[in-house]
Amino acid sequence: MFHWLEQRPFFFSVGVFLVIAFAGLIEIVPDFAQASRPVAGTQPYTLLQLAGRHVYIKDSCNACHSQLIRPFKSETDRYGPYSLSGEYAYDRPFLWGSKRTGPDLHRVGEYRTTDWHENHMWEPTSVVPGSIMPAYKHMFTQNADLETAYAEALTVKKVFNVPYDQPGFTKLGSWEEAKKQALEDAKKIAADMKNKDVKEAVERGEIPEIVALIAYLNSLR
Amino acid sequence: MQNAGLEYDYTVSKWFAYLAIIFGIVGMSIGTYIAFELAFPGMNEWFGQYGTFSRLRPIHTNVVAFGFTLSGIWAAMYYIAQRTLKVSLKENSFVHGLAKAHFWLYLLLAALMVTTELMGITTSKEYAEMEWPLDVLTVVVWVLFGMAMFGMIGMRREKTLYISMWYFIAFFLGVAMLYLFNNMEVPTYFVTGMGKWYHSVSMYSGTNDALVQWWYGHNAVAFVFTVPIVAMIYYYLPKESGQPVFSYKLSLLSFWGLMFVYLWAGGHHLIYSTVPDWMQTMGSVFSVILILPSWGSAINMLLTMKGEWNQLKESPLIKFMVLASTFYMLSTLEGPIQAIKSVNALAHFTDWIPGHVHDGTLGWVGFMVIAAILHMAPRYFKREIYSRKLMEMQFWLQTTGIVLYFSSMWIAGITQGMMWRAVDQYGNLAYSFIDTVTVLHPYYTIRAIGGLLYVTGLFMWAYNFYKTMQSDKVLEKEPAFASPMGA
Amino acid sequence: MENIRELQAYGYFFFTLFLVVVLYAYILHLYRAEKKGTRNYEKYGKLALDDEIDATPVEPNDKGTDETKENKEQS
Ligand code: HEC
Repeated sequence: MFHWLEQRPFFFSVGVFLVIAFAGLIEIVPDFAQASRPVAGTQPYTLLQLAGRHVYIKDSCNACHSQLIRPFKSETDRYGPYSLSGEYAYDRPFLWGSKRTGPDLHRVGEYRTTDWHENHMWEPTSVVPGSIMPAYKHMFTQNADLETAYAEALTVKKVFNVPYDQPGFTKLGSWEEAKKQALEDAKKIAADMKNKDVKEAVERGEIPEIVALIAYLNSLR
Repeated sequence: MQNAGLEYDYTVSKWFAYLAIIFGIVGMSIGTYIAFELAFPGMNEWFGQYGTFSRLRPIHTNVVAFGFTLSGIWAAMYYIAQRTLKVSLKENSFVHGLAKAHFWLYLLLAALMVTTELMGITTSKEYAEMEWPLDVLTVVVWVLFGMAMFGMIGMRREKTLYISMWYFIAFFLGVAMLYLFNNMEVPTYFVTGMGKWYHSVSMYSGTNDALVQWWYGHNAVAFVFTVPIVAMIYYYLPKESGQPVFSYKLSLLSFWGLMFVYLWAGGHHLIYSTVPDWMQTMGSVFSVILILPSWGSAINMLLTMKGEWNQLKESPLIKFMVLASTFYMLSTLEGPIQAIKSVNALAHFTDWIPGHVHDGTLGWVGFMVIAAILHMAPRYFKREIYSRKLMEMQFWLQTTGIVLYFSSMWIAGITQGMMWRAVDQYGNLAYSFIDTVTVLHPYYTIRAIGGLLYVTGLFMWAYNFYKTMQSDKVLEKEPAFASPMGA
Repeated sequence: MENIRELQAYGYFFFTLFLVVVLYAYILHLYRAEKKGTRNYEKYGKLALDDEIDATPVEPNDKGTDETKENKEQS
């Protein structure tokens, strides 16, 4: 039968496709059916946090950091309670990472603070001698892209029914409202920072990348 | 004999070969650079935000996987397809046009890919970092590739498709399916009319997103780094050595074995489910039985050289290919070992994983592409390969590089994995995270040096290729088997 | 949810079993066919070696011939 196939490229291709597609489907669909339902208390990201997440993605922090605490004692001792599937319900894309050159960050908001991050992102070795993490000074001068973050939040709200603006969930509102809220959040974070340029920028109504990023890191709990 | 006067047309194949050389040097130089950054983090600041490890890593992986490897594969495909189907692209200007369009659009795509990723425009999904406009372009490129390939198949004079063609077809179909499913995303601008027009958000969330991504990630490895490279070795090794493939029947089995098993090997998903234990065990046993034929390819290649081992000593090209199939066996053995639950608990997230990836890519993929292009060079240019000695040196230099790479990463990975879980006598963690980082410094340095050796080899390869083009040792006629080479 | 997982596991098991049987039955078939002399597979190895454009094809792809008839002869 197979020999017949090698002389008939069309049926050959169909055969190959069936084998790989079928196996792929069986392998992945049932896992999919266990759709990750949000764990109670999980909230969609605020606009500022989402913008910070975009900064995290833009600079590929996931190249060195995981966000997945495995259920081993050595990991829960180091990073906190192990990760649950439902905690990622609003993560698009997921940011589990595949390599831990640096520590896991899934609950970094529990034990690091705004001012710690500020110093660390500016010059990691000044906080942790021997660190091989790059310094990210450009984040202190470039501004975060709130508008794209808002577009994304609105898209997931409309297309995937993410419960923004529903009672008990994160408020998004109109672009004007969301922007105002994000600026207020940014001011709170800037108040804990000491970099003058960042503080001034926030006063002017701008949001440097570092502020958004820290808002995101603080939200990881 | 009815085709007298007709010749194969290597134009497109040659273009792809040039690209493979360029992308190989660029991609692996970046790789070596970021390897040095891990050993000497000060280097992160040399090029401002564009030179950090994290900006450059996706560029390294993409340029090497989708630049170097795909170009190498296509250089081989446009060559092997013509020859084993006995058709020339000269015969049909439409198919030839498709092939050329395939090349130029692909070049455009690659350039855009590098530029956008340097700017930080990425979806963050590994090996699928491109944003949606580039995904669309990728689909176009892929369709052109398929049309050109099936176009040639449609014109063929040889009724039976040679082994290599089966693998190229599987490569085309497999990647198309995987890529489409993994890159389902919604452009946010079209929904809201706000923000950057090229931004998109994944159709899947959280755990599901991860599932699809690693379904893609694992199988992309299968269909880009394994399937088409097997296609290449089935042609170039027999052709260069003048030995027909050891067993055609075995190659049939290996092909279907590989198709069955590769996407199907996900049995480890079921370890925790409620089915009886014996069934899970038997499931694993059967998977192993299925893997055997897929090893058949490597064995088949080694047996093809049976009684001809003297060629291994004489021809550096044969050396490259035989070592490549050995590395193939090594990494297909290492992979399943890492999938064992207890080993995975230790190895996951450590440097053992990049170590594993690189003995496959540098040893198997890299060596095959290098050998293929050197084999084609005398046929492209009707000239003798410039220097055998240079090739020998390249071979040994690169082999040393690979050994340094994977041995250091094995040690680094296992050391770090052990330190993360080490506890003192009271059961508290023995090391802070930074302790487990600083201890790696020597291994990171060794790895970077290994990379440097490999890249140096690539420059020798490029030089050899260039000098072959310029050589005055013109050949009367295409060599049938062993490629002629100067001292 | 457990049902689906269980089904998946059974499906996986029987399908692998099926594949193993098919694949190894196929091996048997190949070797038997060659032993009986109805087929010679190894000649296709020549496809890679005699690949000059003016070489005689191992089996020419004559568009005109009736494929079904030819298959009967083969099997
Ligand atoms: C080259 C790999 C690398 C990259 C890229 C990287 N980091 Fe790190 N990171 C490390 C290492 C190593 C450490 C541990 C030493 C230290 O604390 O500096 C670390 C530590 C951290 C910590 C402290 C965690 C803790 O538990 O102490 C945070 C927060 C962090 N990184 C955030 C980031 C962010 C945000 C980015 C992206 C902008 C990033 N990192 C990119 C390697 C990296």
